[in-house]
Amino acid sequence: MGILKLTVNGAEHHIDAEHTTPLLIVLRDHLHLTGAKYGCGEGQCGACTVLLSGKQVRSCITPAGEVAGRPVETIEGLSQGATLHRIQQAFIEASAFQCGFCTPGMIMATAGLLRENAHPSGEEIRSALDGNICRCGTYSRIVKAVAKAAGGAERV
Amino acid sequence: MFDITAQLTRREAAKRLGAGVLFTFTASRLGADESKDEPLLTSRLHVAEDGTVTVLTGKVEIGQGIRTTLAQAAAEELKLPPARIRLIMGDTALVPDDGGTWGSMTTPRTVPVIRQACASLRELLRQSAAKIWNIDSAKLNVADGRATSPDGRSYDYAELAKSAVFGVARSTDAALTDPAKWRVCGTPLRSVNGPAIVSGKLTYSSDLIAKDTLFGKVLRGPNHRSKLLGFEDAQARELPGVRVVHEEGVLGVTAPTEVLAEKAARLIQARWSDDELGGPETLFKDLRSRARAPEAGNGGRYPPVMHAGSVEAGMASAAHKLKATYRLAYIAHMPLECRTAVAQWQGDRLTVHCGTQAPFLLRSEIAQALNMPEERVRIVVSDTGSGYGGKHSSECELEAARLSRGITQPVRLAWTRAEESTRVYCRPAAIIDVTSGLSSDGKVVAWDFHNINGGPAGLTPPYAFPNHSVAFHASDSPLQQGSYRSLAAAGNAFARESQMNEMAAIAGVDPLEFRLRNISDPRLKAVLLRAAHGFGWGKRKAGNGTGFGLACNLEKGGYIALCAELDVNGHEVKLRRFVAAFDAGAVVNPDMLSNQVEGALVQGIGGALFEELKFDRQRILNGVFSGYRLPRFSDTPEIEVHLIDQRNLPSAGAGESPITAVAPAIAAAIYSAGGKRVREMPMLPALQETTESAKIS
Repeated sequence: MGILKLTVNGAEHHIDAEHTTPLLIVLRDHLHLTGAKYGCGEGQCGACTVLLSGKQVRSCITPAGEVAGRPVETIEGLSQGATLHRIQQAFIEASAFQCGFCTPGMIMATAGLLRENAHPSGEEIRSALDGNICRCGTYSRIVKAVAKAAGGAERV
Repeated sequence: MFDITAQLTRREAAKRLGAGVLFTFTASRLGADESKDEPLLTSRLHVAEDGTVTVLTGKVEIGQGIRTTLAQAAAEELKLPPARIRLIMGDTALVPDDGGTWGSMTTPRTVPVIRQACASLRELLRQSAAKIWNIDSAKLNVADGRATSPDGRSYDYAELAKSAVFGVARSTDAALTDPAKWRVCGTPLRSVNGPAIVSGKLTYSSDLIAKDTLFGKVLRGPNHRSKLLGFEDAQARELPGVRVVHEEGVLGVTAPTEVLAEKAARLIQARWSDDELGGPETLFKDLRSRARAPEAGNGGRYPPVMHAGSVEAGMASAAHKLKATYRLAYIAHMPLECRTAVAQWQGDRLTVHCGTQAPFLLRSEIAQALNMPEERVRIVVSDTGSGYGGKHSSECELEAARLSRGITQPVRLAWTRAEESTRVYCRPAAIIDVTSGLSSDGKVVAWDFHNINGGPAGLTPPYAFPNHSVAFHASDSPLQQGSYRSLAAAGNAFARESQMNEMAAIAGVDPLEFRLRNISDPRLKAVLLRAAHGFGWGKRKAGNGTGFGLACNLEKGGYIALCAELDVNGHEVKLRRFVAAFDAGAVVNPDMLSNQVEGALVQGIGGALFEELKFDRQRILNGVFSGYRLPRFSDTPEIEVHLIDQRNLPSAGAGESPITAVAPAIAAAIYSAGGKRVREMPMLPALQETTESAKIS
């Protein structure tokens, strides 16, 4: 075991865990940030998506030891206090979820996308989020929500 | 962080519900889905001293939006804003047994029960006010959570809760609000879970990680038949804080961290029996040879045998006969949240937090397995990361109960993806044999339909077939099999609708026109025409790789019609457009309903085109996402859903019916694009085989 130094949502944490421990487990079990979810453990579904230095990563296959010194952002850090982020608001308005288990990962992947491409086309949204699975099948609504969050038309 | 209250004392129940009055109703009008012999008193509603009403139900939220729909139904009858309603769902210590959350039954069965209870409470409010004011109750108006008198006095639920010392509402026959006058029901109320979901704050059972929680891990043999023969655990026991548990064939560990639990499990050498599953190469041959004659049972919801007219006479009169066999592979539910159970013992009492679709069934199974009375087992269900019919069984919860026996801390057992997809039942594989007879004027005059191993749901044709015989033949399956969204109806509709399309081609009639000739049910006709109109059916010519397909069905009270457009390019199929029409009676929440229809259509794509559980004699081979393809953004066509709201008709459930139209519409579109008649689900592997064999010849 060793002490890992992590910066999550702007706060610094010292965690007693092995460097190979998946970031997802550190976030959930050690920091009790349970917004990122375990869906597959092999980076296939995107339910565990968080931002590392502003880019989306699969926290289930990212060793916690590798992220030291770089900022990690999770769904818990997205909203400003009680005010929801515009992406979160757009997901509510478009009812872009059913069970909601994929939603934090979808929203973080969207946050990563919109930082790189503020006004993505429908095709760009589908392509950027294709690594995220919504088993309930709300894909069409998610595309509309992302377009709405990006300030585009609802229909894309 | 989550605080687990292991046992619910009277004081804790009061704490959870808050100060107020618990209203109890007799079960004669307000009972569970399953009829019970003994009359039950059901605690259904609680009114807090601030006037907030809590609805208690054994139904659970699995993504279908029922927490929202039930809040809407309660708000409508109580004449309260939905924000003043909360629901406690699936806590066996607090809520009535409303049956499992399955079979599209919550909206048709539980919504009316809750409406009735709430209407009764509303009338109690009215009558209490009338009594206090000594005025005729008919002169009072109830709106916005209060009864008001013509001279301006008012009396609300908070006052009722403070004054009421009684717990039984007698007027359970209070009139329900006329659907034509709905103000809250019938509107697209957004999910009450929405803000928590988008903030990552909705607590699923897998998020219950309390401070003193121990992490569990179970060792497993190659398949569900494997039996533990022996094990060596000395190395695992040396790890700090690790316990090895062996009870009733379950071998596992608990440890202070998830990482340590996995490490300890890897250090145990277990020996397993070499029981086999059965060969995949002979699957369909074996299912057929082991098929049993249908058992004409008590009927029930899915009678296994049905007849009308004379199939023999119909066949004799037919101008054309068509015989075909359809096959379905095993598929897995793959809910995104894998089963997780947190179990804790307090003396001889057990509490299990989990994400099941069937809390009371689980309580009964666990009590029986552990040989203890049901009253000492409490199941608490968190809103769940979906189920699709896959979370009815108690394996994970029972394992957690065994791992936590003898200690006081809670044990969290979180299944991996591979465990979730290989250690419980999957949707059955099936063979469906259909023989049909067609008259010279394009009517189906004989229909003989046999499903082997798939199941009896959805056998009944929604058409006016004068002579038909349908049957389900059970068989022996190498894999564990059970419920899946729509049960066997997806397979049965695939076979039936594909057969219809093929007969339409033989008759030389457009598939829409052919169906209309064979339908007498006006609601089925209406959805077909609505979908066809929305799609522009018949306006464009198929061919050159672009195809159009159509299918319809009546399943669990919901009428569905679907038109599909796709492109076929070699072995690849690209879905372009789905236009669906759906009629499930009175629409309680059009946004939730439309979401359910869209979701079912998307889920149907997987089973139709590419989902398949592969196995060899020892094990299931592709129980992880890297080996099992699920529908993604890139697989999803543009989807348009037309809802037909029938306010004057009872509401049917909607979660299942739409999935049944997907495979046959896609199969028809593939054929229309210039492809083959594919009679297998999933279709892509079959499409590749037929193309390749065609090349060879």
